[in-house]
Amino acid sequence: MEIQSCVTILNEWDIVAARQLGRNVAKELGFGTVDQARITTAISELARNIYLYAGQGQLCIERLHEQSKTGLRIIALDKGPGIADIRKVMEDGFSTSGGLGAGLPGVRRLMDDFKIDSNPGEGTDIRAIKWLR
Amino acid sequence: MNLSINVENESEQKIIVAIAGEIDAFTAPKLRETLDPLSIKEDLLLIIDLSDVSYMDSTGIGVFVGLFKGIKAKGGHLKLVGLSDRLTRLFDITGLADIMDINSEAESGVE
Amino acid sequence: MDFRKTMEEKYLSIVKHYIQTQSEQGLYAGQQFSRRALEQKISPEEVISLQKSTMQELMPELPEEVWHSYDILLEIMTGYGFAFREHQSLLSKQQELKNEIEIAANVQETLLGTSIPSVEGLDIGAISVPAKQMNGDYFHFVQDGNHSVNVAIADVIGKGIPAALCMSMIKYAMDSLPEYRKDPSAVLGSLNRVVEQNIDDSMFITMFYGMYELRSNILHFASAGHEPGFFYCSKTGEFKDLKARGLLLGVDKGASYKRYEQFVEVGDMIILMSDGVTECRTDKGFIERETLISYINNHIFLPAQEIVNNIYRELERLQHFQLRDDFTLIIMKRTN
Repeated sequence: MEIQSCVTILNEWDIVAARQLGRNVAKELGFGTVDQARITTAISELARNIYLYAGQGQLCIERLHEQSKTGLRIIALDKGPGIADIRKVMEDGFSTSGGLGAGLPGVRRLMDDFKIDSNPGEGTDIRAIKWLR
Repeated sequence: MNLSINVENESEQKIIVAIAGEIDAFTAPKLRETLDPLSIKEDLLLIIDLSDVSYMDSTGIGVFVGLFKGIKAKGGHLKLVGLSDRLTRLFDITGLADIMDINSEAESGVE
Repeated sequence: MDFRKTMEEKYLSIVKHYIQTQSEQGLYAGQQFSRRALEQKISPEEVISLQKSTMQELMPELPEEVWHSYDILLEIMTGYGFAFREHQSLLSKQQELKNEIEIAANVQETLLGTSIPSVEGLDIGAISVPAKQMNGDYFHFVQDGNHSVNVAIADVIGKGIPAALCMSMIKYAMDSLPEYRKDPSAVLGSLNRVVEQNIDDSMFITMFYGMYELRSNILHFASAGHEPGFFYCSKTGEFKDLKARGLLLGVDKGASYKRYEQFVEVGDMIILMSDGVTECRTDKGFIERETLISYINNHIFLPAQEIVNNIYRELERLQHFQLRDDFTLIIMKRTN
């Protein structure tokens, strides 16, 4: 069962709206304050990437209920320039150069599961899950 | 590390560069970045004043060899002036003093 | 055992104790806690959360505003945690690279390995130490029966991996020129052409090549821009430069290398080095060649290998155990 809500990212205020959405869902699912802060930090990074590099896109939050597990999935979608070398943006230290996809390795570490798909010219699709412990 | 490079375009065909500080593995990349673009010009006379260079190691020699080859290939001329005894020795040992224009006029100006 | 499970309790007792005593001992307990927490990779935001829950237990009556302020602290420290985890991951990546370089250095050692020949009448000592993990200096001995001992010492500009890669090329270029092996000027001439064709404009190599004729005790040598070695004359006790003119390898395709000769008598020494020896910087400036001579003089009656080992140790100490450049020193002493 999946329930999804989305925020369209166009400007910096939408980052706040996405965070708020993520925090509400996280709280509702029973995440503690530390995990709430981690989830919202991950949302901030992903939404900021959309705002800075793609111009616009969507940030969606899904509630996950699988067998005995409950979790939250962040989906960041854009039709921006895309990423040519995904391996490179997933390398630490790349974010410091301020290029495309800043902070993605950090987001991966904050979450339990992280998937990225991107093609130059077509955009980027990032999905990250945090499970409730 | 500290290295200062001062580039002065005397004319279309003549550039004078004054370098001060230490040329070593840390500062050589900066020096190369500044000097290499200059060597693209045809028939250039590039004069480099090394009076205020307190230290240079083999990395620095590398920069000047590269520059020398580049400028020569374009029909230009590279002149190094104001070398201290230690620097002069470096160019002597490496045999570069025989093929490059080193200290040709500023000999007396060196302490 | 499980620090995570007990840390809340521990943290509570540390804070409680400190609020009561405000002692240095109490603070020290805090420092020890942080050491364990770092070991267990407890992130900054978790510590903030610990502090908050501890305070809620100890002083539940604190005003609402205080608890709200923790939200900001938590948010900020989550950012620090983000950086902390990146740092952790970079550290492990650094370790990986270090291991890889170590393996490369071992490969290099095998590739460039040379053994010091043991020859009747000639006592030879050699040491070569890289500043970083990989060596841009190189020395090589070849013994040609009872006829001669050949020695090459070379230094690539710069240090580290690029220099080491370059050295491997030189080594194979040398191995493929056996027929020229005997004549130093021909060896350098051929190597110069190889290097000129194969390396970047701003790269170069200096090399000294010597052929010591065992029957006549004459050293034939040539130099491609290499730091001059010394010749020690035991009769007069004097050191003189082994002067040889010649251009760096790789600068000019047409460069030629003049051959020089030095007659060696019993007790005389040939001392060869890389510029890491003379360019070693100390508190008082550079090591002068005179200083180096005085070091050699201090150990002159020792076997050649012990002399070079001792000099390396002394120069290492002078530089506070931080080599700036690769270091290579070779001594050949005629014993009869």
